[in-house]
Parts: sequence; C-alpha cells; structure tokens
Amino acid sequence: MIIKLLKQPQAIIGFLFITGLLVFSFYWPSLLDVDKTESLKLQDFLYDDEGRIIDAPPYSPSQVPPLGSDMFGKHIFYQAIDGAKYTILIALGIALFRILFSVGITLLNPRSSFSFLNDIVQATLYLPTAILAYILMNSLIMKQSMEPMSTIKLIMLQCLILIGVGVPPLISTFSREIRAILNKDYITNTFALGSKKVYVYHKHVLPELSTKLVLLFAQQVVQTLILMAHLGVLAIFIGGSAIVVLGDIFSPMPVAIPLAGEWAGIIGMNFAKIKAAPWAILTPLTFFALLIFALNLIIQGIQNCLETHKS
Amino acid sequence: MNFSLGSYLKRLRSIIIGILIISILPALLFGTNTQVEQNVWEYSIKNLKYPLFPDVFEKYQYSMTIFFAALFTGLAVALILTFLTTLLPRFLQRVTYGLLTFLESLPDLFIVVVLQFTVIYIYQSTGVLVANISNVYNNPIYLLPILTLSILPAIQLFKIALLLMKDEQHKPYVTVGRAMGLSRFYITIVHVFRNILTSLVQYYKTIFVFMLSNLFIVEYVFNLNGIMNVLLNTKGVAFMVTALMIAIPFSLLFEIAESNTIKLNKQEEEEAA
Repeated sequence: MIIKLLKQPQAIIGFLFITGLLVFSFYWPSLLDVDKTESLKLQDFLYDDEGRIIDAPPYSPSQVPPLGSDMFGKHIFYQAIDGAKYTILIALGIALFRILFSVGITLLNPRSSFSFLNDIVQATLYLPTAILAYILMNSLIMKQSMEPMSTIKLIMLQCLILIGVGVPPLISTFSREIRAILNKDYITNTFALGSKKVYVYHKHVLPELSTKLVLLFAQQVVQTLILMAHLGVLAIFIGGSAIVVLGDIFSPMPVAIPLAGEWAGIIGMNFAKIKAAPWAILTPLTFFALLIFALNLIIQGIQNCLETHKS
Repeated sequence: MNFSLGSYLKRLRSIIIGILIISILPALLFGTNTQVEQNVWEYSIKNLKYPLFPDVFEKYQYSMTIFFAALFTGLAVALILTFLTTLLPRFLQRVTYGLLTFLESLPDLFIVVVLQFTVIYIYQSTGVLVANISNVYNNPIYLLPILTLSILPAIQLFKIALLLMKDEQHKPYVTVGRAMGLSRFYITIVHVFRNILTSLVQYYKTIFVFMLSNLFIVEYVFNLNGIMNVLLNTKGVAFMVTALMIAIPFSLLFEIAESNTIKLNKQEEEEAA
C-alpha cells in the first residue's frame, strides 16, 4: 500500500509539507538564524532610531515584519512557527489514541452492537462536537479552580476529553466494519478449524482493516484540528491558561494567555481583539487551513489507492 | 411519502437516552460541585442570568431561519454552478474540481473571519456598509450569517453534484437523447438534473450535521442570539431541553428522508433485476 501511495503525487506533496513544517518548527532558530528567546519576548513599545517611542502593540505587519505582532508585542510569525510542532503532534496523538481506543473497545466484543454507545452517537449527530467538548472542558476547569492540579494532569485530562469525544462514532463505524469481515466465509472456516480469537484478529481482521484505518486516522487528524480551532475561539486552551491583567488601573482588563504555544491558543488569545489586530488571528487560521489542505491531499491519495485496489 | 411512526419512536428513544447521558456526564466525571448553582430554567452568558422560557422559542426561530435560508441558498448556488461547469470545456472542469478540493479544506472559522473582514474592509475603503457584521441589541442580522453559513455546504454540494454529473453523463439514456437529436443543454436541464437531485438527497445527513456544527461557529463569531449560544451556556436539565429542541425536528426530517431513500434504492434494485 505504501508503494502505491508513493505513486500519488498529491499524497507526497501533502506529506512533505507536514514533515517540512514539523522539522522547521523544531529547528527554526538555527535555520532562520535568530535567537529564540529574543524573537518570542514581549515588546512593550516600538522605538525609532533615536530611542523615541513610536508605537504600542499590536504592531501591524509593516511595522514588525513579516506578520505583525499580537497584543503583547510578540511576533505572530515566530509564534505560529513555534506552535506548529505542538499543534501537529497533539492532533496526531489524539487521532491515534481515538483510533486505538475505538478498535480496542470494538475488538473486546465485536458481536455486540453497543446499544448505549449507539444512543450517544445518535444524540451527538445533532450536537456540535465543539459544544460537547466545551461543556466537559468547562467542568474540568471549574474543578481545577477549586482543587488545583498539576499541569501534566490537566493536559492529560484535556487530551482524554478530546479523545473521548471522538470515540463513540468511531466505535459504531468499526463495529459495522468488523462485523462485516467476521461474517465472511473464510473467517467462519478459520474458526471451525479451531483457531483462537486473538489469532484471527491479528492475522485476518486487522490486515483487512489497515487501509481503512489509515484513512480514518487522517480524517480524525483533520477533525481534531478543527475541534481545536473551535475550542481556541471559545477560550479553552490545552495546557491551561494564565490570567494577565492588561489595561490601566481604572479599567483593568483580565486576559487569558495560553501556556502551550499551539495555534488554537494564539487564535483564542487574540480573538477578543479581532478588530484591532486582524493579522494576529488570520495568520494561525491560514496555517490551520494549509495544514488541513495538506491532510486532505493525503486523504485523496489514499482514496485513489483504495479505488485502484478495488478495480 | 413513506414514514413509520414505530421506527421514529425507536430512534427518538435512543436520542433521548443519549442526550440524557451526555447532559449528566460532566457532573458524573468531575463531581456535582463543578456545576454552577443556578436556577434550572436559566442560562447564563457572561455571568448574567436569563430565563430560558419563553426567550428560547424566539432564538430557535431565528436560528432555524438562518439555517434553512442558508441551506436553500447553498443548494441553489451549487446547482447553478454545476450547470455552468458542464458547459465548460473538459480541461476547465478538472481545474474547477481541483479548486473545489482546496476550498473544501478551508475551516469554517477561516471563512467566517475572512468574510467579516472583507465587509469591514469594504466599509473602510468605500464607505458602503454591505451588511451589519455583528448583532446589536434587539436588531437581528440576517444577510451575512446566511451568506457565511451557505458557502461551505454550497462547495460540498457542488463537488458532489459534479461527481454525480460525471457518472450520469455516460449513462445510456443520455446517449439515446443525443442520438435523437436533443441538444446537450436540453438533456442536462431536463433529464440529468432530475436524476442528480434524487441522488443528492442521499447526502442529507452529512450536509445537515456539518451545517449544524457550522451554525454554532457562525452564531458565536457574529454574536447572534441563537439556539446554539443558549445550548453552549446551559447545564443539566436546561441543556437537555435545548438539545432535544434541536434533535427532535431534525431526527424527524432524517427519518422521513431515510425511509424514502431506502424505498428509492429498493425501487432501483427492482428495476435493475
């Protein structure tokens, strides 16, 4: 299958774009020859050559090339590049665990129809996933404010919520697929010849599912990215947030800053100031769009492979 | 019309159980003390509490107006564009298809924000306010949310319709029509379009579910007082009631569509046999 995928130029372009972004995100200080702490520091004011203050944040793209700065004077471009690795890795991890959990749960008892999960799936059709994740995340943050927990634990719980939100629909997909495979004649024969369940799953069911699994994995990554962007707008940040007070003494303005630097956090942090600094929110959104486009290219490639496989 | 009440009630039961499970899930996982104490029939936005009834009906009506207006706009735009593309040369059709794949991968949030800025930009540079970009108290806006919400479904429907069109154009009846001396234009409008419409109905579920999720983002970004905003800010029983208000009519729609498409498929199979 991998060899076939290599013959799909679009899949290769998508894959190269994502790996390139990931590598660039890890090594950008040396590649661009800039100091990491220097380029990500807070810039209170902008000075001209003679040391006079000429502007306060947010700076426009013309003042601070290449893409302007946010409300705190941080470079949006460097932030977005630095956040790429967190965003991509979180999305990949969550999608992977969604697939693993749902396959695992389905294989525990492939013949059952999981009626209560089916109920949840039926209900979630009408509720946007972002709302579902929001009501859970909000309760988690409430709990955290009452009884503080460590950042690691918080991130784990948040990831578990993001994983859990996607699992029920996947289980119903997998149980349908696996039941169809188990009903095939050669599987019945294998069982009749006395092979163990584990052997059949390992040798027959999983290989037959594998291409489907890769396709679903890529689709799940896209869905996770969209969900993360939505949650970012709702000011739910993965890794929690710190409250910083901006504004003057007569009108204090508490602003939540995400601690992890992923794109959804950048969007959420700048969302309230959308009219003052449009570039601060359009940049991460464009990155999201490009990443999703690259993933869609890969998905298209896999689908082409499946079609040629069939014919 | 083909509809059985029994199977609908069965579906309704599983939806109600599902929503019940979801609404008690936060309390179950993180303890009841995380649920802010508020009156059962209230929802809170930015620490201000509002009564759920009878406000919710008005918001519901508003959201549904936007939803269905956007759906029909999207459908109309998609069909017109499909028709226009079939008139283009083959090479341009492939370019259109590639472009659609790109447009399809734009996140809904991106489109909402970009449209908002376009309107602001036009206002700043020419002084013409195309449409209001945000909801002001008691003055609901319609044009921009409907436009925004209709873009992505229009793109999806356009793509699906284009694919269906491609399949349809190689069917024998088109060849027969051509041989009878009917023009390509006439065949496309009268025969091919009718067949595409019935196939397009089968994608209702994807489109509807996708649009409900988009509706939420549109309402949030444009600050509309819609049903999704209420849903976001309610807890417990009120959440359940609001969710059911969305789920019951839509499930009825799905049930009707499903039973009729199944009937349609059976008919086709019988014809084929």
